[in-house]
Amino acid sequence: MEAVTRLVKIRTSKTTLAIGDGANDVGMLQEADIGVGISGAEGMQAVMASDFAIAQFRFLERLLLVHGHWCYRRIAAMICYFFFKNITFGFTLFWFEAHAMFSAQPAYNDWFISFYSVAFTSLPVIALGVFDKDVSSRVCLEVPSLHQDGVNNVFFSWSRILSWMLNGMCCSIIIYFGSLNAILVQAVRQDGRVAGFDILGVTMYSCVVWTVNCQLALYISYFTWIQHFVIWGSILIWYTFLVIYGLFSPAISATAYHVFVEACAPSPLYWLSTLMIVVTALIPFFVYKISRTLYYPQYHDQVQRANSKNW
Amino acid sequence: MDEASTSASAGATRRAIPPARSGVFYRFTQQNLPAWKPAMTPGCLIAMFLIIGIIFVPFGLLCLQTSNHVAEIIHRYDFDCVPNAYRGNWQAYIKDSSISKNCTLQAKVLEHMRAPIYVYYELENFYQNHRRYVKSRSDKQLRFGAKYTAESCSPVHRDNNGSPIVPCGLIAWSLFNDTYDFTRGSKEIKVNRKNISWKSDREHKFGKNVFPSNFQNGTLIGGGKLDPTVPLSEQEDLIVWMRTAALPKFRKLYGIIEDDLHADEIITILIGNNYNTYTFGGKKSIVLSTASWLGGKNDFLGHAYIVTGSLSIFISILFALIHVKYPRPQGDPNRLSWNRKNGNG
Repeated sequence: MEAVTRLVKIRTSKTTLAIGDGANDVGMLQEADIGVGISGAEGMQAVMASDFAIAQFRFLERLLLVHGHWCYRRIAAMICYFFFKNITFGFTLFWFEAHAMFSAQPAYNDWFISFYSVAFTSLPVIALGVFDKDVSSRVCLEVPSLHQDGVNNVFFSWSRILSWMLNGMCCSIIIYFGSLNAILVQAVRQDGRVAGFDILGVTMYSCVVWTVNCQLALYISYFTWIQHFVIWGSILIWYTFLVIYGLFSPAISATAYHVFVEACAPSPLYWLSTLMIVVTALIPFFVYKISRTLYYPQYHDQVQRANSKNW
Repeated sequence: MDEASTSASAGATRRAIPPARSGVFYRFTQQNLPAWKPAMTPGCLIAMFLIIGIIFVPFGLLCLQTSNHVAEIIHRYDFDCVPNAYRGNWQAYIKDSSISKNCTLQAKVLEHMRAPIYVYYELENFYQNHRRYVKSRSDKQLRFGAKYTAESCSPVHRDNNGSPIVPCGLIAWSLFNDTYDFTRGSKEIKVNRKNISWKSDREHKFGKNVFPSNFQNGTLIGGGKLDPTVPLSEQEDLIVWMRTAALPKFRKLYGIIEDDLHADEIITILIGNNYNTYTFGGKKSIVLSTASWLGGKNDFLGHAYIVTGSLSIFISILFALIHVKYPRPQGDPNRLSWNRKNGNG
């Protein structure tokens, strides 16, 4: 049977899935791209050689139609969104270099940069990759043609990847030039203080964190307490970190010393420019999403909207 | 073996102990948590964009109005302050300490400026954000004294005799040292030079027991000198200068005028044009500005709010028109891509 599997794999270049429950199926399970082993009557050899193990043969339907559909959407969305958030962040650094004589001076404090992917934007990505759900499992089973999205690679085509990257680039342009022009060169507060390198860095970084997290909130259509917790929690972690890091001595925190508590938080200009920049950066994607789902919906959009509780 | 095949075929054999199916953890593992699934109906979206627009546009107008109430006087002086004899050779002028660097400028106050009026010097084409420049300081030395002089300050960390320079580094070495005095007719306008720096800098970054030593006594003079009897925490010009700027064009606070300036007054600014920006093509200007709750004079925020708000309103009107002109029931199968290709819609 493994020879047959190999033949099918090579000649058709398609992804193959093999199901088996006995020791004689081990070769076939390993040869196929995805091996599903069934535990039970004939022992555990098939389970040990498989990628997925299920207890009964009838669970295969659920594995394919529900989990297969969900996992495909999650992974495709997660990768595209990951590109987006890192491009948004990285390109602001790049635009800054153009104004810093390309001397490799980072626009932000070092620890801000270190913690970006670890603390401020990592949890929402994990929530997207693990918990996102576009339709319920009942709908997945009722509408098996949703599974074809994966077969036709609808969610991970080049146009999707490149348009997420383009979105990231546009967001970074709006964030960078928006913060720049709003904060500099005049005074930022009533006491006549001007913004230096530190305040500009905090403003831009706050805009980046808000934008990427709210972008995720606009993208997903399924909000449980987990999604609320990770999205708003990440933004809260950023501000908490800023305050705590600012309390460390200047030898450690350098330009971030007291910057939020003393300089940024009492400045209405900081909050207002953050609001304006974030809303402006999110409008293009949101308009695109609305146009797509309302006026040029694809099959999965229709199914999703038809089964949404509010509708 | 028999039980397994029975359960595989019928699926109706009862298990001995049913697991809990109502616990919160079960709902979590079965990915069945209570959720909010927002549906994007056209009405909801039109309303949302309209609300954004209605909030943003008046707010932008408010910001513009606030910015217009800030009065600002800007004068570039580095070009005008060079005497005619040296117009072709600025570097000779600025480096020769025997030539008087005093320069007088007349500025007309166009609108009434209420105290406090902030005096800034504005530099252009000065890259305080260059990496090697930003690194060239020692925060420990500024706080605690000469024994913490670090290699990070090179090339300005020790003088020719090997004794440490306090404060070390290129940032301190390039201290801005133009001076400004203001007179109104024959009366002098007092400029308050205290409390111009950030409080956290004064109290926590610059030491009260650290005094300048060996500062600017080499062959290359980068900027102003410091009084060695005044501790660093009171050297406010240095503190303001050392808070590096973000971009090549920047302003830094010089002092605060506590009097009002009335409209149509002519004030005379006596400038000590000491700082050499001629070598690198920099520009120097003096700025007098009031401040509002939003800060200084900047139309960008107001314009940006108005643009975003108008765009929002435009989008909502556009969607409303499309919705009215081409109404379609939700979930209309005619809109599906393969049906549209067949000639429908």
